[in-house]
Amino acid sequence: MPFIEARGLGKTYVRHAAPKTGGISRLWKRETQHIPALTDANFSIERGELVGLIGPNGAGKSTTVKLLTGILTPTEGTCTVNGRMPWEDRQAYVRHLGAVFGQRTQLWWDVPIRDSFLLLRDIYALDHAVWQRRLDELIAELDLADFLHTPLRQLSLGQRMRAELCGSLLHEPELLFLDEPTIGLDAVSKLKLRAFLKKENHAHGTTILLTTHDMEDMLALCSRVMVLGHGKLLYDGGLDALLQRYDTVHTLRVMFEKTPDLSAVPASVTRDGDAYILTYEPAKLATSVLLPQVLSAGRVREMTLKEQNVDELIARMYKEMAL
Amino acid sequence: MMRYVVHSVKMLMKSAMQYRSSLLMQVIAQFVMTGGELMAVTVLLSRFRVIGHWGAAEIMFFFGVMQSTFALTELFGRGIAAFQGFIGRGEFDSVLLRPRPLLLQVMCSQLDPRRLGSFIVGLAAIWMAAVQLKIAWTAAKALLMAEVVVCSVMLLLGLFLIEATMCFFSVKSIEMVNVLTYGGRSTCQYPVDIFPTPLRLLFTYAAPVALCMHWPISWVLGQPMVVLAQGWYYVTPLAGLVFFALMAAIWYAGAKHYRSTGT
Repeated sequence: MPFIEARGLGKTYVRHAAPKTGGISRLWKRETQHIPALTDANFSIERGELVGLIGPNGAGKSTTVKLLTGILTPTEGTCTVNGRMPWEDRQAYVRHLGAVFGQRTQLWWDVPIRDSFLLLRDIYALDHAVWQRRLDELIAELDLADFLHTPLRQLSLGQRMRAELCGSLLHEPELLFLDEPTIGLDAVSKLKLRAFLKKENHAHGTTILLTTHDMEDMLALCSRVMVLGHGKLLYDGGLDALLQRYDTVHTLRVMFEKTPDLSAVPASVTRDGDAYILTYEPAKLATSVLLPQVLSAGRVREMTLKEQNVDELIARMYKEMAL
Repeated sequence: MMRYVVHSVKMLMKSAMQYRSSLLMQVIAQFVMTGGELMAVTVLLSRFRVIGHWGAAEIMFFFGVMQSTFALTELFGRGIAAFQGFIGRGEFDSVLLRPRPLLLQVMCSQLDPRRLGSFIVGLAAIWMAAVQLKIAWTAAKALLMAEVVVCSVMLLLGLFLIEATMCFFSVKSIEMVNVLTYGGRSTCQYPVDIFPTPLRLLFTYAAPVALCMHWPISWVLGQPMVVLAQGWYYVTPLAGLVFFALMAAIWYAGAKHYRSTGT
């Protein structure tokens, strides 16, 4: 049996609002709206997998996470995590769960982060020695030693995210949810965070499910992605296969000595100051075919080839899936 | 479980001490506010001497018990009283992810140490009244007072829980319920038997402040509102515990609704 299994999982929100038209009856009349946030999702995830959940805002990512964490109960279908229904026996279920929500803190604002970790020890009823060993490990890996005695509110965003991760992993959860973990972080912090997650996944076999808008996160971390849109699971499989399916776009930036004649070049051409930007799809137009044509169009002073633009790719994918 | 509660309270104290001067100012502000109310009651009584069959010192005793228990409730029940913000900020989702009872977590999430100011005034009023009345304290009376405080705090928490439960259904403000909490405080700082029947019935049987507080206190003061066998004065305050349990059950039903709708 897979570690996580969802069958026909769905959630429809019911919203009540006062009618927009009508007289005094608006005061007590309520219009009921049914908003399907997730419909008929089927997937299974094995223990130790690192899965990326992507999709535009409002696609159903948060709803999926909330269903799997047991914060919400589904309106249709079912899911099990390690044989348990997330919304049944809440306390026993969440004991093995960790979660970090990028925008919201799980730690205490005004006390040194070590105090928060101490309280988490009591919340999860951890043995002190076990807790201490785990904390030492996380302090070393997440580089927390310098600000262990600083209140959370005084930490930088990157430090805070590391502290949050530590807090969510102290009780060695089997399953970790990360909601946009790298949002707002600088490049170095992002790299460190990704390296840490990989290591954690590898060393402890922690199953990690992360939502992100950052393609780099996915390329670095997830071998598998699930794409959600309009509450439906649109794609579930390898990241490589996805990238091939939505052919990548390359850009070639060229500066010429004199004004070139690019009329014969089969790529789309735009200007950026003195430079010419050629965009093309390598699957349709091989770089080896394009280059001689560019070289023959004029004397090239400078030329740079940019790798696939992943954000553009995601945008195209969303567009093609009509999201 | 105990370790978790004690640790939480310690940490909240520590958090509050981060803003020492601001805390001190707020405690003083509360002290002055409640003190002002006490003065108003005193001035009023210097004019009228008696309300119903109660003398000035007795009224002050009732006032003190209500103020101090209400302050204690707000001190420890901040999480429930400010539950609207808790839901609004999405903090309830975090609570749902932790392996501890929901209501306990909500209560352990916030303290309101400002209320110490009101608490001190309340205690002072009780003490002054007791001295004036020359109450002969016995173990039985002291024990009953302790029971009254505990049960009244639970009752008031139950009243705050009504408002908190409504937050599960609508994020908008539900000030209406303040009638029972803050309105209840203003009303029931006077003995309930001076009020007309509907109000008296409301605060005796629906929101049983009289059972928890006024009946046993009136016996301590030697002027029982309702004449019962002595043992019964120890039984009626338990209504507060029952009330709390009932409201907690309804609150849990609300939490279940929250998880099924995700408002």
